[in-house]
Amino acid sequence: MANDPLSQTFAALADPTRRAILVRLAEGEATVNELAEPFDISLQAVSKHLKVLEGAGLISRGRDAQYRPCHFEPAPLEAATDWIAMNREIWTERFDQLEQHLKRMTPDKEKEKEP
Amino acid sequence: MSDAPTELGELTITRIFEARPEVVFECMTTPSHLTHFWGPIGMSTPLEGIKVEPRPGGRFETVMVNDETGEEYPTHGVFVEFDPPRTFSFTEADVAGGMTTAIVFNDLGDGRTETVTHQTNVPPMFMSPEAQAGLETSFVKMDAYLATL
Repeated sequence: MANDPLSQTFAALADPTRRAILVRLAEGEATVNELAEPFDISLQAVSKHLKVLEGAGLISRGRDAQYRPCHFEPAPLEAATDWIAMNREIWTERFDQLEQHLKRMTPDKEKEKEP
Repeated sequence: MSDAPTELGELTITRIFEARPEVVFECMTTPSHLTHFWGPIGMSTPLEGIKVEPRPGGRFETVMVNDETGEEYPTHGVFVEFDPPRTFSFTEADVAGGMTTAIVFNDLGDGRTETVTHQTNVPPMFMSPEAQAGLETSFVKMDAYLATL
């Protein structure tokens, strides 16, 4: 799989636990213990998820050695949503033009029907 | 237009065309038609750059050219499904870690066709049943949050 930032963002977001962690962090910073609380998984599993999120730049960790609170970093998400918005625009314009193309074709079709 | 809300990492575009499914499908899979509309506004898609091998595993390639700068944007798709005039889908391995675009052509029975274009950037290997089950709830929340950014 490609290692570009967008791929890392989408890969990080593909896991429901990681998305739930991000939703929680969007409300404010939290420690690993706090993040693990609502999930039926070990602290180690949560730490693994946090590493993936950190690798994708979606969170940052505090310097405090004991608690290392996690912060949500929205920039990669914005890049992902920008990319989706751009793709939507491309397809919308493409289909607008297909619509025009179909209109131009119609008279030809009608001519074919004539004897 | 009746576009479904966009889930994070996914895109759905619904359009209705004033033509039968056979015609719309042919337009979207024939180079001599594609060259007229494939490039978005400000881009052209010259006929000689379009390759369509109409079968699963066949190539679906285009080169979009920026009308102002002449910069070229090649796309390298491979058909996954090719079932005229019902549906076709293709993957682009070099876009966002592997993007799949699937287009379904619904016959509205009155000479019109509804197309539903669904793009997903999430590679299939990450789309486990658990991940899919989680899409509903988590993405809805995430979308709500993103709307506030």
